[in-house]
Amino acid sequence: MTQHTVTATPATSPLRLIAQITRPQVYVSLLALSLILLIPLGSGSPFLIHVFVTICVFAALSTAWNIVGGFAGQLSLGHMMFYGIGAYTTALLIQHFSLTPWIGMWIGAILAALVGVVIGYPSFRLRGPFFSLSTIAFLEVIRLLAIHFNGFTGGSAGLIVPLKIGWAWMVFSDKANYLYIAFGLLLVTIAVSLIISKSRLGYYLIAVREREEAALAAGIDNTKVKLQAVIISAMLTAFVGSFHAMYLTFLEPATMFSLGTSIEVAMFSLIGGLGTVAGPLLGTVLVVPLAELARGWLGASANGLHGFVYGTVLVLITLTLPAGLVGTFGPMVGRLVDKLPGGGRRPEERAAPALRKLEGPKGEPILVTKDLVMKFGGLTATEDVSITLRRAEILGIIGPNGAGKTTLFNLISGFLKPTSGTVAVVGPKGAMISPTTPDGFARAGVGRTFQIVQPFGRLTVLENIMIGAFLRHPGVQDARAVALRVAQTVGLFDVKDVEARNLPIGGLKRLEVARTLASEPEILLLDEVMAGQNQKDTMGMVELIRSIRDTGVTVIAIEHNMHAIMSLSDRIVVIDSGRVIAEGDPNEVVRNRKVIEAYLGEDYVDAQGL
Amino acid sequence: MEVFLQLLINGIMLGSMYAIISVGLTLIFGVVRVVNFAHGELLMVGMYAVYLLFLKFGIHPYIAALPVVVLLFLIGVLIQRFIIQPLLNADEHIQIFATVGLSTALVNLALMVFGADLYSVNAPDVRRSLEFGSFRVLIGQIVMLGSAIALVIGLHAFMQKTTLGRAIRATAQNRNAALLMGVKVDRIYVISFGLGAACVGLASALISPLFPATPTVGTYFVLTAFVVVVLGGMRSMYGAFFGAMIIGLVDSLSAYYIAPDLKEVVYFAIFILILIFKPTGLFGLGRGTE
Repeated sequence: MTQHTVTATPATSPLRLIAQITRPQVYVSLLALSLILLIPLGSGSPFLIHVFVTICVFAALSTAWNIVGGFAGQLSLGHMMFYGIGAYTTALLIQHFSLTPWIGMWIGAILAALVGVVIGYPSFRLRGPFFSLSTIAFLEVIRLLAIHFNGFTGGSAGLIVPLKIGWAWMVFSDKANYLYIAFGLLLVTIAVSLIISKSRLGYYLIAVREREEAALAAGIDNTKVKLQAVIISAMLTAFVGSFHAMYLTFLEPATMFSLGTSIEVAMFSLIGGLGTVAGPLLGTVLVVPLAELARGWLGASANGLHGFVYGTVLVLITLTLPAGLVGTFGPMVGRLVDKLPGGGRRPEERAAPALRKLEGPKGEPILVTKDLVMKFGGLTATEDVSITLRRAEILGIIGPNGAGKTTLFNLISGFLKPTSGTVAVVGPKGAMISPTTPDGFARAGVGRTFQIVQPFGRLTVLENIMIGAFLRHPGVQDARAVALRVAQTVGLFDVKDVEARNLPIGGLKRLEVARTLASEPEILLLDEVMAGQNQKDTMGMVELIRSIRDTGVTVIAIEHNMHAIMSLSDRIVVIDSGRVIAEGDPNEVVRNRKVIEAYLGEDYVDAQGL
Repeated sequence: MEVFLQLLINGIMLGSMYAIISVGLTLIFGVVRVVNFAHGELLMVGMYAVYLLFLKFGIHPYIAALPVVVLLFLIGVLIQRFIIQPLLNADEHIQIFATVGLSTALVNLALMVFGADLYSVNAPDVRRSLEFGSFRVLIGQIVMLGSAIALVIGLHAFMQKTTLGRAIRATAQNRNAALLMGVKVDRIYVISFGLGAACVGLASALISPLFPATPTVGTYFVLTAFVVVVLGGMRSMYGAFFGAMIIGLVDSLSAYYIAPDLKEVVYFAIFILILIFKPTGLFGLGRGTE
């Protein structure tokens, strides 16, 4: 591996930002967005202004929802609770304290964020439909409480926003002013969504959505990133709620905390494309005008019509275009747009930042387990395992199937908590520390691969590796550069833009190594990375592991390929039935009577007269 | 004390109603592994069907049970065949959206056809109350309790004793192994969804004389049914039955002792606590986090 030098390039100087506008993706998007403002203002029709205010409100709600529901993959069906909290907080603050909504909306947003954390923290451990159900339950509880405490909220009878006209009170006689604010809110929400999607947080959210375990191994604190998403999403939703309350001037629990609206908001994202920046807006623009026009033309006789259309569209989309419009056609449109003047520019390649320097004397104990015991019910999978790993060595772990090798890996990477015994690794200051979580181990420098590969299926190979690289390089450009270097080293450069789920097993095994390597671990745990590789790739892998070790990384490898592990390892530990039965130089270990017994049985040993 | 006992009786009667709805939901979730967010709307469809049969032909709801059960079975079969089946290997959130969309479409379809008015089936014989000392129970409620017990025992026997029942259980436990043993898994799914929907058909016939049909009646009942199913451990019929009884009692007692409009808050709180702290259900019969 060659060392690269860092070239300092300011990523976002104001000039560069302005230069961005010559890119077709940017100017086309801005032109399209401006239509939302220009069409209604140009027509001057109050009805069109109302329709477009509604579009802005729902597009902003859907974009905010998409941060949790799309990026993080947590399908909240109770998101209107944040909207309602924002709305009620703002309205009540005006009523009781004559506080301007411009300040009130911030208090509402903070309150919504708090509620989001209190609800999200316990709910995030629930999977799929059960998470959705719990969000519905929370929404219902809040709605029922809002009805019950009618002295405070006005209950089912509702609450009328005090009508003080002017910018300070966000109530206008000229409806165009509402459109300016709604459009502004939409822009802010989309900007936040765009920034997230292009930042480490965005990648982390997708990683957590795709595979929680692999995300932990990459050092991601799953709960923390999900809570960050909820806080951002809840605050944005509450802002929109505050504004919408001022626009509607009337609040009642049934509409402020509506399950139906929560579903609609999620639906717009699905139609446009979950987890995309433009999807929620596109979905809203396509569906809301239909419903509003139907309501405008048909009046009360259209009762239920728009909901029926929404529901039917939702079912049809799941059956025909589950990736949504942007997810399905986005790349194509993107290529077309790129042909416009100013297009076709590639992001400039940037040199990868220098490798982390690994310090500490060769041969010092770097990972020490003491009397590790792991019991699953009555089964003891690991029994009194005490091993010491020394810096910059390659330690091979062998043993028959079911001996407890992978359990040991799970114990020394934090994925299992031992029944008794301790695991300690060298911390940043040289003292031994004992992390308690998988992501804690990863941050302490223990990187692991999974025997059963755990790719982030919908990310490209390069993006998969970037997830690892983010651990030491929070900047996207740096992480990309590191990932490119690692892809080159591991032999994945040619497939770097392939979605990981399309890789064959040999490629996936190398991807496991690449992602872990990109996190620049001090200790690398390799769980059967040779399996599924052909002869040539195995030799390549042996060379690769040697070269990794030569950069100062310490390696523990579980392997069934005896030839490879024997030639590779400095030292071998043999495990059988959860115990260490032999330890030492590879050549001695293979002649050890207990080892031969473990693999081939006592009879074989006796028959050979060993 | 007398009030308390009457409340207990009311709670058990309410519980038996929840039980019949929840058993179908449990069956669908246990076998097809899909949470059917449109389950309540099946109940709504059934209740309108019972009402129409009563209005047009004067058929008593209890007799209407037979055609409505068949109707709901067929609707269930169609839903499974044309909506769920194509999505079995899709992402979980796509499955959620599909049944949520179906639910939204059905509620609003009912709103378009019937409007927001309440439609009641007039069956005075079912609404007559029996008096035991100072306690009173509606005949319809006793029928409901008897039906709930019979349904749970009957389904359990069906699952244990018949070949089809065993195939359903095998599919529920391991889809791939069942496939390898020659079980036509897709057909089992279709039948199971149909059976789950048919249970709702029975429920709608029994509930119709006691509650009016509205477009949102399903939403009201199904949220409770979800609470029951989670409480009962998601996969177990008996779990669902006892879960329903507990929720019935909580409903009846908290409405009296706390506040009528807060009873849902109480059992949603129970729901959230169970989901979070004991995802295997109150009786440890299922695996909620799966």
